[in-house]
This record gives sequence, structure tokens and C-alpha cells, in this order.
Amino acid sequence: MELHDEIRIEAPKHEVYAALNDPEVLKAAIPGCQELNKVSDTELEAKVALKVGPVKATFGGKVTLDTAGAPDRFSLTGEGSGGVAGFAKGGADVELREDGNATILRYAAKADVGGKLAMLGGRLIASTAQKLAAQFFENFSAQVSAGREFS
Amino acid sequence: MNEMTPPKTERTAALKGLGSARKRVEDARFTQGKGNYVDDIKLPGMLFGDFVRSPYAHARIKSIDAEKAKALPGVIAVLTAADLAPLKLHWMPTLAGDVQMVLADGKVLFQGQEVAFVVAENRYIAADAVELVEVDYEELPVVVDPFKAEAPDAPVLREDLAGKSEGAHGPRRHHNHIFTWEQGDRDATEKVLASADVVAEEMVYYHRTHPCPLETCGCVASMDKVNGKLTVWGTFQAPHAVRTVASLISGIAEHNIRIISPDIGGGFGNKVGVYPGYICSIVASIVTGVPVKWVEDRMENLMATAFARDYWMKGKISATKDGRITGLWCHVTADHGAFDACADPTKFPAGFFNICTGSYDIPVAYLAVDGVYTNKAPGGVAYRCSFRVTEAAYFIERMIEVLAIRLGMDSAELRAKNFIRKDQFPYHSALGWEYDSGDYHTAWDKALKAVDYEGLRREQAQRLEDFKAGKTRKLIGIGLTHFTEIVGAGPVKNCDILGLGMFDSCEIRIHPTGSAIARLGTISQGQGHATTFAQILASEIGIPADDITVEEGDTDTAPYGLGTYGSRSTPVAGAATAMAGRKIRAKAQMIAAYLLEVHDDDVEWDIDRFAVKGAPERFKTMKEIAFAAYNQAIPGIEPGLEAVSYYDPPNMTYPFGAYICVMEIDVDTGEHEIRQFYALDDCGTRINPMIIEGQVHGGATEGYAIAMGQEIAYDEMGNVKTATLMDFFLPTAWETPHYTTDFTVTPSPHHPIGAKGVGESPNVGSVPAFSNAVHDAFRAFGLTQTHMPHDHWRIWRTAHELGLHG
Repeated sequence: MELHDEIRIEAPKHEVYAALNDPEVLKAAIPGCQELNKVSDTELEAKVALKVGPVKATFGGKVTLDTAGAPDRFSLTGEGSGGVAGFAKGGADVELREDGNATILRYAAKADVGGKLAMLGGRLIASTAQKLAAQFFENFSAQVSAGREFS
Repeated sequence: MNEMTPPKTERTAALKGLGSARKRVEDARFTQGKGNYVDDIKLPGMLFGDFVRSPYAHARIKSIDAEKAKALPGVIAVLTAADLAPLKLHWMPTLAGDVQMVLADGKVLFQGQEVAFVVAENRYIAADAVELVEVDYEELPVVVDPFKAEAPDAPVLREDLAGKSEGAHGPRRHHNHIFTWEQGDRDATEKVLASADVVAEEMVYYHRTHPCPLETCGCVASMDKVNGKLTVWGTFQAPHAVRTVASLISGIAEHNIRIISPDIGGGFGNKVGVYPGYICSIVASIVTGVPVKWVEDRMENLMATAFARDYWMKGKISATKDGRITGLWCHVTADHGAFDACADPTKFPAGFFNICTGSYDIPVAYLAVDGVYTNKAPGGVAYRCSFRVTEAAYFIERMIEVLAIRLGMDSAELRAKNFIRKDQFPYHSALGWEYDSGDYHTAWDKALKAVDYEGLRREQAQRLEDFKAGKTRKLIGIGLTHFTEIVGAGPVKNCDILGLGMFDSCEIRIHPTGSAIARLGTISQGQGHATTFAQILASEIGIPADDITVEEGDTDTAPYGLGTYGSRSTPVAGAATAMAGRKIRAKAQMIAAYLLEVHDDDVEWDIDRFAVKGAPERFKTMKEIAFAAYNQAIPGIEPGLEAVSYYDPPNMTYPFGAYICVMEIDVDTGEHEIRQFYALDDCGTRINPMIIEGQVHGGATEGYAIAMGQEIAYDEMGNVKTATLMDFFLPTAWETPHYTTDFTVTPSPHHPIGAKGVGESPNVGSVPAFSNAVHDAFRAFGLTQTHMPHDHWRIWRTAHELGLHG
């Protein structure tokens, strides 16, 4: 499954980049995120409750960041397991570009799912993932812009 | 003393014997919801089992932590391979000479594989506990493509077979190779192909699908620790074989095991195999001392218990310029999944696929089948067909079409030109079978006439013109099939399963008042045995079918037999029934002669009685004879009237048929409409025309599903993409076509009543008929082969690739 999109965030690039590395911002933005802890500068551990069609499960997983291209681009890879519900693994490349006072965020993600999640939710996964991604960036963008207004 | 004798026709009709469209006696309970299936069995204190299954298609198991599950109130036990290992039950033998993990031993090899067995007080607790078992997997590379399985660097799937270069069916050439099976004459065939006028070559794929019986697999195991007796109720198509195998595996003496197959809600081959659920339930009952029930759900049934087909059949067929077939060559790559659990007679690792010369007189042929392991569920059962016969029929019926295209010939004419002629039977095929009987030309001509074949071709040609002129977007396809089956396994001399000879049996007990009970070694899963076997007997012994109880499935009471699959019940157990009936009649003749005070040879059989030759007014009815058998002292004759017959057939039977499908295809949407489906079956002597018609409707509907949409599909990670009925196509009344049935009768010369078996013919014959119709619709645009299932998307894609979308 592949996802890609481009969104505009009303904040300068360095702020967007910082927010993307802030566990608190991410935790609030990721739909269903129950826990998000930074293990090191490039490693995160997360617990996320998800529902895809008839499958509902809490996924525990690890995310590794590659920040070599920061702040213009970075990539991440991760994998998570929801027990009998199945598992997911994948990665994303994120690119940030200045556009005046705003930032254009472009991402391309690739994910594979397995287990019951793939079997039962198969035909729902792409649309669910699209929806979750949209929701994430909506939340994220709201937080980053809000942060600007109040700071 | 004797009542007035009704006329012969009336007496024959009263028996409801052979040829009578007698209503199914089973339906009174089935249509009222009063059947008694495994899941209806409730025993005091019964526990429930449920499986933890692997989400991965290939992974190493690093650890299994069941502590949280065990702590859940109501959970009795969680079994893993480590618990079964001391009993040597963590692996089990398969029907194909391989072994299979009962519970994952160190690694998993397909998605849905059994990893742990939770036993709890009820089903809900068991399901909750399954989610609490924590399994730590390390993912391994997955092989789903059978052609990549034998690459030099392909992952090793079966580590337990390391270093074993010899399998159950000969040498293994690669770590993922199971067997090579060769038949026929390779050199002669290749020589013919090399010098032939025309050679057509094609890869024909019969995709992976699943029998999907409405009732899934399950059992209730009950170990009585007081008397040491194990009783297992289960969805078993072969209860006696299950008893013997259970005894051999467990060490429990065979007389202490009782296997009962209650009502079974469809089998279609899915319920032939031995599954981990049975072993785990039995172990759990032995450990806990109380009954344990396990019934799989729909997803478990589709992803873990036996699939069918998955044959990649590469074919070459040669002919003279005028369409006389000269040779057939075939190589099959058979995807068997993670364990070789095919249900085939021991000496036939590819079943009877060597019937693939079909209905044609092909002088020389060669066949090789290579079985390989992949990360898919094990199985390879005969889904409503005799062992691999439907694959064979699909292969040859596609190859005939492909050859017809190469020759530029009408495929109906090509078939007729090459049929085995009536005077050639018994016919020895190039791949080793002796066809017992057939009259293909008569059936074929009848079928073509019935559908007005010439008229259909004219209409098709007109439609094609209209299509090209832009007047319509619908094409017509005419799908032809003439199939020959090989059923009724089988002669003990070459057919056994795990060493158990494939005879079958019938035991008859006549009651003093002239009614009877017959018990058989087979088991009905919906075929209507209680109806039809009573009819065979009625005609043999002159007792009305309505007065005969037929009982099957309880190994403590029924005589030993190998069960019901591969259309073997009528050819084998049906023959045993007739033979046992004849033994009854032989004794009845002696009793009648004594009662009539004449010599044995001076009485003759007359429908329902013995009468004195030349004096038909002097007779004894079977009712009178039965009473005398029990209540009158007859010198030299034991009291009672019972008989048993174990029948080892001298040959298989070879039912055949001609099926024609007329289909309309919308090239823009890929949708189809079955305009006409004509099915002519020759199953020899017809026992009950109504049941035959029902069988043909059922089998053709399954064939329709298989050809037009049903499949077990995997993605490249080994995920089953079609594990629910949302994605796995089961036709409803809405999609099911209308069928016209017809028949010819060519009795089997070696079967006591000439019957051949029909339950599976419609599946075997209809799949190529539907598929050929799709191909035929696009023949004018250059299509030679496209793989099933022909769902809307694939048909649309075919039209698209042929440039029909402008």
C-alpha cells in the first residue's frame, strides 16, 4: 500500500521540523495514540489503538528516524504488532519546503500489513490509512499553527 | 392364504426402487432445522477449544507466553507444541505420506497455522484467552510463488526435512521439492510432437480455491476415564479410517475408540483430512477427563483446512492438419502448500490426474507432476471431484480449445473427430487407465442438437458483426465440454490410503415383520444415501424403500469402509449394498422353496416375492419369508435373515457428460450473464433421477463459482486475501444460473447394478464449460488463454488488453 500527499502548514520550516520531532506534539496528533516515548534521538516507541473495519487492536511498535537530510527532509521506518489482529511495517519519506511564512510538507509512505488486519480489513486498509494520515496532518497542522499564535 | 396379486407395475412402483424419483427421506429433518450436527452436540461439563494462529506466513517462534491467558478466569489450559512433544503428538502424519505440525514447532509455515490451543469453560472465554497469548515471532522470507520455490537460493521451508533426499513418493531434488510423478511414454511423445503437423502449446492454470462447506470442520472428543473408551463426534468423511489412524497415532486400542460422524453439512473433500483441531481436542479431553469441543469459524476454515487445486499445467498437444490428435504432453507444477496433505490414494501423489487424455483417443502421451512446498495452507483435496480429476478435465478441455484455434477448426467437430468410439471400450488409455464403458458420440450429438448448436454459432457470428459495427457492446460465448471422470476408488490392488484398502461395505438385517436396516461404511454429507441406498436394496430384496432404514457413520455399529469422497459411495458401497442384498435373496429363496414345498431351483424371483416356476399364483412375499426366517424352524437353515458384503471393485467407473454453456459478456463492465446451461450426464444406471438432478444443480453451481470468481488468493507476504465470504465467492440464488439437465445411460459393465456415480461430474464438467464460454466469446479477437477465475475485473481486463475499449 502506498500513500502520498502534500499539505501546507502555516508555520516556518524550522518550527515544523521541530514539532515533527516533539513526542508531545506527535502524541496529540496521531489518531488513537496512547503512548509515545522517545528512546533516543532517532528512536521512538509507541502504542496506538486502531480500528480497521471489524478489527480493533492496540498496536505496539517502534519507529526509527533518519535525520541525515534535516531540516529539508527526513525519513522514518517502523513496525508494529497487534497480536492476533496482525502486524504492520513500513516507512515514509518527508520533505519540507519553505513557502513564504508557511511550509509545504510532502510525504510518500509505503506500508505492508499482515494477519487478520490484512485478511479482514484488506479492502478497507487503503481508505482507512488515507483517512488516518489526513487526520494526523490536520491535528498536527492545528497544533503547530496554534503554537505560533500563543507563543 | 395369499392376497390378490397386484399387477407387476404396481408392485414395482410400491418398492420405490431403482429409477424412482423418491423424495429424500433426510429432508424432513433438514428442512425443519432438526438435523444433528457436531455443533449441536452438548455434553455435561464440556469444555471449548480455540486456536492461537499465526499472522505470519513464515516466521520463527522465539517465545510463547501464555501466562496472562492462563490467568483469565475460566481458562483451563493452553497447549503448545512443548506440551504435545512428550506424547509425540506435536507432529502428525498426513494422508500423503508427509508429516504436519499439530502445533507450531519452532516455526510457522503458513498464515493461520495453529500455534497454541486454548481450552476454556466456554467459547467466549476461549476467544478472549487466545488474544492474551503472547507469541514473539521473527519474520522469515516468504515463498508464495511455486515457480520461485525451487530457486537455488529459495528459503528453506521445511527444516525438519533437512538432508532428506528421498520423500514418500521418490527422490526430492531441492529442499522445497516434494515429488516428481511420471506417467506415459516420454520419448515416444516427444518424438511425435517433434514431427507433428500442428502443435498447440499453452499454460493452463487451475487456481487455488476451497470446498467451503457451509458447516465448517469440528469435533467433540470425550475420553471416559472409567471405561477407557474414547468417543469422538466429528465432521469426518471417512469415520472408520479416522478410527484406525487415531488408534495407530495414539496407541489407544481400536476397540476403545468410537468415531461418530453425525449429520454433516457438506464436505466436498474438505472433511477428508486429519486436522490439528481433532488431535488437540482429543489430547485436551484425555488431560482434563471431560469432553472438549472444537469447531472452527469461517475464516479458520478458509485459511487453514484443506484447499483444492493450485495446479499450473503446461501442455502440448499435437495433431494432423485435418485435426486428428496424435499426442499429448503435460507438465504440472503443483503447489501443495507448507505440508503435503493431499488426500490421494497412496500410489497416486497427483491423484488420478493421468485421466487427462479425457474423452479422446490419444495414441501417445506423457505426464510429469512436480509437487512443491510454499508458505500456503496445506491441502490439495478433491473438491467435489475424484482425485485431481477436475484439474485433468479442465486441462484437456482447454487444450482441445487451444488446438481448435491453432487448426482454425470448430471445437465441437474437433472433439467428435477424436472421441474414443463406442466399439473401442474397454479402452486402454495412453496414461494407463482402462475405461470401462462409454458412448461419447451419442451423448455429444444429443447435446449439440438439444441446444441447436448450429443456430447458436450463427447467432454468435451475427452478434460479432453487430459488435464490430458498433451496434452492441455484448459478445456471445459458447462453452463446450465433453468430460470423462474416473471415480469409485477403488480396487484394493492399486488403491489404498495410508495402507487401508479402499473397499467398502454394507450390512443388512431384515426384521421379522419384513422391514430392514442397512448399515454402510460410507457417510452422507448431503448426498442422500439414506434415500438412494434404500432404493438399491428395495430393487434387490423386494422390500419397499420406505421400510428400510439406512444408517452410517458410527464405527461401533457400521461395517468398516473407507468413507465418502471421490464419488465412491455408489460405485463401491452401492455395489456392496446390491451384493449384500443378493445374499439375502439367496437365503430367502431357500426359505421360500421350503415353505412352498418345492426345490430351491423351482422358485423364481418376481419383484417382491419368490413364486413357483410356471405357477405364479403360488408364491411367498419377502414379508412372509422374513417372518418365517425368524419364527419357523427350517431344517438345515439358521434362523434370521442378515447379510454383509465387503466389495472390492474390479475397476473404477467412468461417468461422462456433455455440457454446454451460452454466455453473454459485456465488454465494458466485464459482467456476464449465463443465458443457457445444458448438462447431459451419463452416470450409468440412474438410481434416483431427482437426486441426480439435485446433484447436477449443486455441482454445477460450485463449478460456476470456481470458474467465475471463487479463489483463495494470497498477497506476496502470504496473507490470505479471501478468508471471508465477503471476498470468497459463494453464489446465492441471485447469481446461480438456470440449468437444463439431460442424460444418456451407458451402464458400467462391472458394477452389480451398472451405476457409475454422479455427485462430482457437474463440478468436473461445468468448470471447463463456463471457462470455455468466456474464452470463446473473445476467440475472434485472438484470445487463446486467460486464467480463471473469470470475475468481472479479469474479464474487463481481457477485453481491455484485446483493445476492445477503443
